[in-house]
Formats: sequence, C-alpha cells, structure tokens
Amino acid sequence: MAALTQTFKMPESIKKGSKFSFCPGCDHGVAVRLIAEVLDELGLRENTILVASIGCSVTLYDFMEVDSIEAPHGRALAEATGVKRARPERTVFTYQGDGDFASIGMAESLHCALRGESVTAICINNTTYGMTGGQLGPTTLLGQITTTSPTGRNVDYYGYPIKIAEHIALCDGTAYSARVSLDTVPNIRKAKAAIKKAFEIQQQGLGFSFVEILSTCPTNWRKTPKESHQRVREEMMPVYKPGVYKDITAAATEVK
Amino acid sequence: MTECLTKTGKKVLTKGNYAIANAAVLAGCECYFGYPITPQSEIGEFMSGKMQELKRAYVSAESELAAINMVIGACSTGAKAMTSSSSCAVALMQEALSYAATDELPIVLVSVMRGGPGLGNIYPSQGDYNQATIGGGNGDYKLIVLAPATVQECVDLTYKAFYLAHKYKNPTVLLADGLLGQMMEPVEFGEYPYPEVDNSGWALTGAKNRPARVIRSYAPSADERCEFLNKLYAKYKLIEDNETEWEEINTENADIILVSFGSPARNAKSAMKECRKLGLKVGLLRPITLFPFPSKRIAELANIAKKFISVEINMGQMIRDIKLAVNGKCPVELLNRPVGNPPSVDEIVERVKKESGVL
Amino acid sequence: MENNFIIAGFGGQGVLLAGEVLANAFMLDDKNVTWYPSYGAEMRGGTVNCEIVMNDIEDVSSVNKAETDYIIALNQASFDRFLKKIKKGGWMIANSTLVKELKPRADINYIFAPVSALADKLGNVKMANILSLGVLAKISKLVSVETLEKALDVVIPAHRKHLLPLNIKALKIGYDYDMQIVNI
Repeated sequence: MAALTQTFKMPESIKKGSKFSFCPGCDHGVAVRLIAEVLDELGLRENTILVASIGCSVTLYDFMEVDSIEAPHGRALAEATGVKRARPERTVFTYQGDGDFASIGMAESLHCALRGESVTAICINNTTYGMTGGQLGPTTLLGQITTTSPTGRNVDYYGYPIKIAEHIALCDGTAYSARVSLDTVPNIRKAKAAIKKAFEIQQQGLGFSFVEILSTCPTNWRKTPKESHQRVREEMMPVYKPGVYKDITAAATEVK
Repeated sequence: MTECLTKTGKKVLTKGNYAIANAAVLAGCECYFGYPITPQSEIGEFMSGKMQELKRAYVSAESELAAINMVIGACSTGAKAMTSSSSCAVALMQEALSYAATDELPIVLVSVMRGGPGLGNIYPSQGDYNQATIGGGNGDYKLIVLAPATVQECVDLTYKAFYLAHKYKNPTVLLADGLLGQMMEPVEFGEYPYPEVDNSGWALTGAKNRPARVIRSYAPSADERCEFLNKLYAKYKLIEDNETEWEEINTENADIILVSFGSPARNAKSAMKECRKLGLKVGLLRPITLFPFPSKRIAELANIAKKFISVEINMGQMIRDIKLAVNGKCPVELLNRPVGNPPSVDEIVERVKKESGVL
Repeated sequence: MENNFIIAGFGGQGVLLAGEVLANAFMLDDKNVTWYPSYGAEMRGGTVNCEIVMNDIEDVSSVNKAETDYIIALNQASFDRFLKKIKKGGWMIANSTLVKELKPRADINYIFAPVSALADKLGNVKMANILSLGVLAKISKLVSVETLEKALDVVIPAHRKHLLPLNIKALKIGYDYDMQIVNI
C-alpha cells in the first residue's frame, strides 16, 4: 500500500497557530500566503528580515515566522535600506499598502528604487485607505466613491491616481517591477511567480525589485468577495494593467 | 580636513564637527545616514569619505525622515548606527524618535543646535533643549541626552553616546551647538573606552534556530501597553540612578550657583572664577547629561544656596528643570541670550553682582 | 596668562587658515587654545574673522570676549570694525597695503605693515595672511617662528605640501620686516 504523502500544508514561514485578522474576502491573506510559500521554496525564511508598514499591512509580523520590524507610516523602505546596508547578506523585504508606498512614503519608495537598494518591496493596491475606514488614497480610481470623495474622485478636487509599477520601472536602480492581481487562480499563480522573481533578483543582488498586487477591500468597497474580484477585473485592471514593466534579467521585456 | 584622523594618543587641533564624526568612526559606528544642514554638514562630509574607505555603510538620504528611519533599520539588526542634523531638521525626526524609544533601539543622533524657531538662522543656540529632553514625538518616552562643552568632550561624549545607547537600548542624543560644531581645540581621540555590548539577545538576524523576533510599537492591548510603559520607565529610573553626570565647582559654600550646559557653561565658569576673585560666593553646576538631569544634586544644593542663575542661549528652557528640582526652596533666575553667542563673562559677572546686592 | 587674537579680512585672504596655523602653534607649545570663527553681525560679503584664545592657566577658555589683545586687520573694514575691541595697551596689526595709516585711538599700539605688497613681491599675494603671523610673532613674543613653521606643516594638507617652503619664507619676511614699533 502506497504511503500517504502530504501535498498541501501551511508554509513554515507562516507562524504556527496564527489566525489572519483580515476582513473576510480580503486579498491580504492570499498575498501573505504567497510570500510565505516563496520564502519556503527559496529557503530564505531563516535569513529574512521583514519591514512592516502602517495600515492593514502592519499585522504581517503577527502571521509570519520571520524577524520583523515595523516602520512609521511611509518609512518602510528607508528602514529596509538601513537593515540591508547594515546586514547586506540578509534578505530584506517590505510589505506596504498603496497609501504607505505611494503617498506618504513616495519619497522613500522612489529614492530606494533610484539607489537600487537590493531589497524587495511588495505593495498591496486596493485603491483606498482600508484600516482607517476607506478614504481616498493615491490609487483611488477616477469616479470612485470613498468616505472622503463622497461624489466620486474628480480631477478638479483630487487630481489623478498614480500608476505605481510604471513609475518604479522608470527608476534606473529598479531591476524588476511588475503588477499582478489575485482575482483568479491563474492570476494568483502569476502573482506568486512575480513575487518569487522579485526575491530571486534580490538574491542575485541586481537592484530594487518590486511587485504591486491589485487587491480587494470588500469591507470598504461595500461589496461581497466575489463582487470585489469582479471590480478588480472590470474597473482596476483597465487602468492598472497587470504585467512586467521592467525585468533586467529578461532579454526583451514584453509589456502586456 | 576630510582626510582621516588616525587613532592617536597625540593631540590634534580639530573642529567640533570633525571630532564628533571621527569619534563615531572610532566608536565602531557601522552605518551613517544623513541629510545636509548647516551648521553640522562637516559630519556628513567626513563620513561620506571615511565610511566608504572603511567599507562601512553610508547613505546620502533623501530627507531627515528617511535618514533617521534608516538608522532605525540598521539598529534593529544590532548595528552601531547614527545620523546627525540640526534644529529644524531634528524637528522632522521626532516621530521616528518616539518609535525608536518605544522599540528600544540604540540609535545615536547628533544634534548641533542652530537658531530657531522655524528656519531661524545658523547662529549658535540652545533652543532645542526642550526638543531633546522633552521631545516632540508622541507618547511617553525619554532620550538620553549628552551635552558637551568642549571639543574634547565632543569626542568623549560621542563615545559615551554609543555606549549608553547600546547599554540601555535607548535612543541617545549628543546635543551640541553651532559654536562647538565650528570650534577648534586640541583633542586626543585615544581608543574607544567602553566594552562592546552584546546585542545577540534581541537583534534581528533572521529567525534561525529560534522563534522569530518582532520589533514593534503597535500595541492593540491597553493592558500590555501599561505593563510595557511601566517597564520602560523603570529603565529610565535606572538610567537616572546610574548615569547622571555633571561638573560642579565651588558650590559647597556658594550663595549663588550658576547652572549652565554646553558652550555658555565655559563663560559661566570663567565668570564664577572672576566673582570669587571679587569675594563673591559663587559656584557652578554644569549638567553633562540633560536627561538624566542632575535634579537630585540641585535639590540638595537648594538647601544651602540662596539663589540659582540659569545661563542659556534661548528664552529659558533648562530653567524649568532647575525650578522643578529646587522646588521653591530659593529663587531661580534666568540670564539668557535668545540666540547667538553665549552671554559674555562680564555680563554674567555683572548679573551675579546685581543678584548678590553688590551693585 | 590668557591672550586672545582676532584675525580679520575679506573672504579669500586666508583669515581662517592663518587662525588655524596660530592655534596649532599654541597647541604645539602645549598651551590650551580655542579657535572659532566669529559669528558677528556681518552679512555675506562682509569681513571674515576668527578668534583664537590661548591660555596656560585655564583648562577651558571662555568665548565671545568683550576685548581682544591682538587684532590682525587685513583690510580696511576689519580695521574699522575691530579697532574699538582692542584692550587698552593691546595691538592693532594692520595691512598697510589696504589700510590707511591712521591712529584713531591713542591707548593702543599700532603696527602698519604692507603684508599684501610684501606677499606680492614674494610671488603670491595670498601669503599676506602668513606674513602677518610673522609680524605677530615678532611683536607678541608669544609664539616662535620655528613653532609656526611646524604648525604650517600640520595645517597644509598633503596635496599642497609644495607650498610649504614659500609659506615659511612668508613667515620669515613678516618676522624680519623692519617695523617701526611705536609703543604708547
């Protein structure tokens, strides 16, 4: 009789017995799991230092079995720079929301990319400030209703949202910049591949690696999980097109 | 002058800012992160060349916000790391200082004070006594604050800043002023005189063969935060008990005690000696640690002295701590210059005469 | 004994460097010494000056002194500005190439030496600062030319060492300048 083999288990990089505190249907949990699987597969867990940020992303250190420090709002990539410069042999990554990365932390994010720091940044883009109750953020789409854009984002009052992965790709220190989504199983697999690629690029010391993850916020969007993924596809993806915007390891990068 | 000052027992004539930078290198500072601001830019200039030469970390940060947070990142791994800045730019760092104090990280900040408020000017000032000792960050926290009065002390207290920061896992500020930063005096660097502190019990090194470590300030539970803050303040009490440092001359039989730190303390010292020549019973107390402040000693002296005069380059900031220590036992007067050079020796002597009723 | 010195001129005359050389010389003589650039009321484009406090009794010198023992004024603006700051019986050493030979105060000593012209003759007008240190050494007797030479060696950086002999020459020209010392 063939012995039983376990084909599905919790990654070792996930803290044992931890229960995600994210809202039902939120994509954070999927993103965290993907990162954990990648760290496991690359054998990096014991060598990794996570810099957490402010927002829903802050609790990541409660769920991952890696050494972690929490940065003030927007400063994650400055702290990551400090960690990496002090201990270049460590794998260092940040886990930030779009507000943390591209609004309050824009200077830190861009300059970290420009310096080509050998760190990996994961940015969850859900087009809103989730933890504070769904206010307008840097990636809130035109027309999107939030608690601080009650009639929808209009250009006169709020200006335009930012396309993060494209901006980061423009920085000369960036080795890899991609945007992925978690709305379908194939896309989740692509997301994992992108995260893995980002960490591999850090291992090779090629420069700054970045993955923007289109994500849901069912609570603040006032949508079911299913409707939320539908919104990712129908409203976010046309503006925030998934794809690899820079990959210095690819002979010729095809931007889709 | 940006060339390396070698480890030497010989005296070298050195500017305060270079003295601080070179002492930091000799103290084993592994990482420097900074953003330029007068009157301390020489520190970053020196570090940019020296740290690269020694294959240590140096980053010209995009802002003071980034610089101090880079220090936090580096210190979280147990590294010796520092930044340096001045007044209006140290104001930008207040948030991070609150985080670092709560995270109990051994960051070293050199703050070379200039005139304020706002952009102010580049003249010497002590307008950031409150900024350093009380702080502008949120919540209950304390920084260790060391105040040199000579270029030699810039060296000695830089060494001490790294040691105390690591010994107590507490952010430590070297609080100098523009005059000291630009001043040259003969100094001896010698060897870093303190033992290395073992950081292996808490530093982030990767969770190998042990549970993961988290350095965080987020505290969802009120009870846990209460427990933590009580523990943090017990540490501050320990620092007060062990590390309070001051210089004291002729105070035992003094009617008037001058209290002054940093560069004005030099003039207060000369003035005190002048007064003694005139037969006036004057003493000097120079706080070297501003936190912990020598409150206990001042309280003792308040039983004997008839009056204290606080000599400061600001509108009167340290005087508040003196008054708290004196606790109403005798008057505490202020002799200040709002910004610029310290009150002159003559000015201080005249004031003492007036206060002692000679004039 | 405590003595203090102010060296003043306009930017480019090597005022701060001359001060650094003097301060180093005092250090080499095992004196306590403090050098600091003056934070006066001047705006940009005005005079540059630094103060050197030398003493062999106090471990720590006071700063921002009301009066000065010696002033080296390399230009007219510095002469005008610092004249009143000289102690009774103190010395004004003025660069007579650029300063009018007037003696508005009767209670101080004056030396008018054409240090710029002498430096120009030597081949580099920028040596006026070092030349004036030679003059100071002669009249103050507080520091020797030999010590100043050693101090020059300390201050002049490695990539400028070829200028050392000329600087030493300037020092000696200043020291040997036949000045009419008129004591009050």
